[in-house]
Amino acid sequence: MTHAVRTGARAPATDRFTLARLLRAREAGVFIALLVMCLFLSFATDGFLTSLNLLNVGRQVSLLGIMAVGMTFVLIAGEVDLSVGSTYALSGLATGMLIIAGWALLPAIGAGLLTGIVIGLINGVLSTYGRLPSLIATLGMLSIVRGAALILTNGQPVTVNARNGALPDVLASFGFMGQGYLFSVIPMQLVFFVIVAALAWLVLSFSNFGFRVYAVGGSAKAARVSGISVNKVKISAFVLMGVLAAFAGILGLAFLPSSQAGRTGLGLELDVIAATIVGGASLSGGEGTILGTILGVLIIGVMRNGLVLMGVSPFVQELMIGLVIIIAVGIDKWSTRRPT
Amino acid sequence: MTEQPTPAPIVEIFGLTKRFPGVLALDRISVAFRPGEVHAVIGENGAGKSTLMNILAGDLQPDGGEIRIDGKPATIASPLASRTAGITVVYQELALCPTLTIAENIMMSDMAARSVVSLVPRDEMRREARAALTRLGMGTLDPDTKVGRLSVAEMQLVEIAGAIRQRARVLVLDEPNSALSKRESDRLFDIVKQLRGEGVTVIYVSHHLKEVLDLADRITVMRDGRTIETMDNSGLSEERLIRAMVGRELDTARQWSLQAEARSHEAPVVLAVEKLTAPGLDEVSFHARAGEILGIGGLPDSGKDMLGEALFGLCSRHGRLTIDGKELRGGDPQASIRNGMALVPADRRGAGALLTMSVANNVVSASLPRFSLAGFMRRGAVRREARAQVARLDARISHLGQKLATLSGGNQQKIILGRSLVTNPRVLVLHEPTRGVDVGAKAEIYAILRGIAGEGVAVVMISSEIPELIMNAERVLVLRNGRISGELTGAGINEEAILARAMAS
Repeated sequence: MTHAVRTGARAPATDRFTLARLLRAREAGVFIALLVMCLFLSFATDGFLTSLNLLNVGRQVSLLGIMAVGMTFVLIAGEVDLSVGSTYALSGLATGMLIIAGWALLPAIGAGLLTGIVIGLINGVLSTYGRLPSLIATLGMLSIVRGAALILTNGQPVTVNARNGALPDVLASFGFMGQGYLFSVIPMQLVFFVIVAALAWLVLSFSNFGFRVYAVGGSAKAARVSGISVNKVKISAFVLMGVLAAFAGILGLAFLPSSQAGRTGLGLELDVIAATIVGGASLSGGEGTILGTILGVLIIGVMRNGLVLMGVSPFVQELMIGLVIIIAVGIDKWSTRRPT
Repeated sequence: MTEQPTPAPIVEIFGLTKRFPGVLALDRISVAFRPGEVHAVIGENGAGKSTLMNILAGDLQPDGGEIRIDGKPATIASPLASRTAGITVVYQELALCPTLTIAENIMMSDMAARSVVSLVPRDEMRREARAALTRLGMGTLDPDTKVGRLSVAEMQLVEIAGAIRQRARVLVLDEPNSALSKRESDRLFDIVKQLRGEGVTVIYVSHHLKEVLDLADRITVMRDGRTIETMDNSGLSEERLIRAMVGRELDTARQWSLQAEARSHEAPVVLAVEKLTAPGLDEVSFHARAGEILGIGGLPDSGKDMLGEALFGLCSRHGRLTIDGKELRGGDPQASIRNGMALVPADRRGAGALLTMSVANNVVSASLPRFSLAGFMRRGAVRREARAQVARLDARISHLGQKLATLSGGNQQKIILGRSLVTNPRVLVLHEPTRGVDVGAKAEIYAILRGIAGEGVAVVMISSEIPELIMNAERVLVLRNGRISGELTGAGINEEAILARAMAS
């Protein structure tokens, strides 16, 4: 390369190999896997390739997807959050109980989201200034938050309906959030997922904050000597995760207006982490994208849907999902030489 | 090197002291760094160079003394404070983010200085990074490449590129070219000269005396935590520098090895190594006799640090190894232990010791089959053996169940030595046998090693501390660039001779 080329054109060697780069990207493998799966299901079943079914898949994965977006931030920052299933339950319950108590919609939702923020803040502070590994801190919070939900509801189911005291217009809007359709076609849950994912993509790929998340997870030391406040970035990621888990929990209750502290969102954290990791995020931090996470969520969603359409038993479905997690991450580890 | 009135120093150090448990790392050192000079800091391992650099980087805080920046007293409380003051330290082990691209790494401090809610200026980042790389003659590197895919040399240059971009006023290079090829280091030297021309102070820590003489305007020699002298680089020779670095009386223990040399000359060869090739080692052949302490010396990048692992089978290797005439097949640690080799590795915390386990369990951990019966540990036998080793090595512990982590460095090292001895080795390989061990325990460990050699074991002592080799070894092999560059025996073993063979370029 000569000086003239370098200063004259802004097109570096990069642009010439766009296709190769595209194929080398971590998302490419997941995308191809998803494509193959969809093609197979289109031929193997009658019901898969219909707009109704596809939108249905979209709705089914939305709540998982919203949480997986949050988990992407946490994993890239080099941490993990096991408390999201409990947050999902507690926030939904909090909002539900306030609606029953006659609150207006927005304050009730706000209170639910605030629960998520506080949980995220506690997770973040414990994992940074508290010097606990986030695996331990959030494992503790998993139990604490679940326990709080049980105490709050006394273990009784909470059902949001007019008979229990919810105001009719609040009930209608709340129901629309969870069960409604935009233009009578697109499920509202899917609309929320798309908005959350789009915003997160913008933040992670184009904002200074997103850059810091990658830097902190890639090498905390390098970030620190560059003047990035590692702790603040990590806490922010946990708070974001908390808010999104809370939001998903609220939407979950809006879809299925009855919730029980002992059951709702049980084990959900594992699904969320699985989808995020299938999408290419690394447990050791620094790696992951929103696009990859969406693909990971879709793989799990399409697979569940396809197996149902093919009449495969739910027991076999569980087993298949486990295989997908291992194979998806395995392909990545076995096929590429990772930088050490 | 032009004639000018001496400019006021940019960084001045007065009576700086740093104490670690059992070691006085810096002993009231004073040195001044002027703007626009290349100032080399040289000295043996343990002379205090790294400690000084870590203080400048804000990683360590001094216990006493004063640092002045631009004539004003300053504290460098954190790495960030160091960078804010215009100091950038490029370490041997780098502070880069492998998952980010070159451009992102170079621009990281820029990004940290901007608002969190701003956008990432991709094009500007790429452009700036390319400019910084071009200045280093690395314009062909694609700024969008992930740093994790680069060679160590390229990473080093990326880190320097980042430092240049931040307009560092003081650039500290710690052994910058140990990973660089000849061409790459030539380029680095050009860059250093260019920066000097721009008024940047370059503090250059190196073992390579020839480069230092080529490059530096002034040279500060450190020894035993003290600054010995600061010299203008004119009319200096490598010999002159070596003499300044050494300047130490020989220990009386030297007598022992001189006598031992006479004794062991006729002893049978226990370990024979033929054309050993491994990462960092290139067809190394040597032997060690029963009852001798064979010293291995060399610079950090000479291959010396790989020898222990290669002999023991911790890394892939080629070549022929025999112990008592029996060829060692299968290059794995189990086979090495079975055939009578024991290794005391340098990295006690990482590789050497089971820090969270008890003294007794550590002692037997390399010989488990002998101390178990039908899958159960024979607790009585374990305790008996542990007690015997503790007594033999005079390790100071409160009880056999004490966790290794709670012992001092010297006592930990004795327990690890004990673990090696339980395997009844014919060959005992030690890598940095007294690293992190205080002076008193050092002498004890030396005495123990002599005792072991006296029982007919071939002891191979790989060490960066030259005095340690002189004191204990009756024969010293010096490595350079993965090969043996010299063998010294008896009265021929002295610091000048070892350094000359380690550094000759």
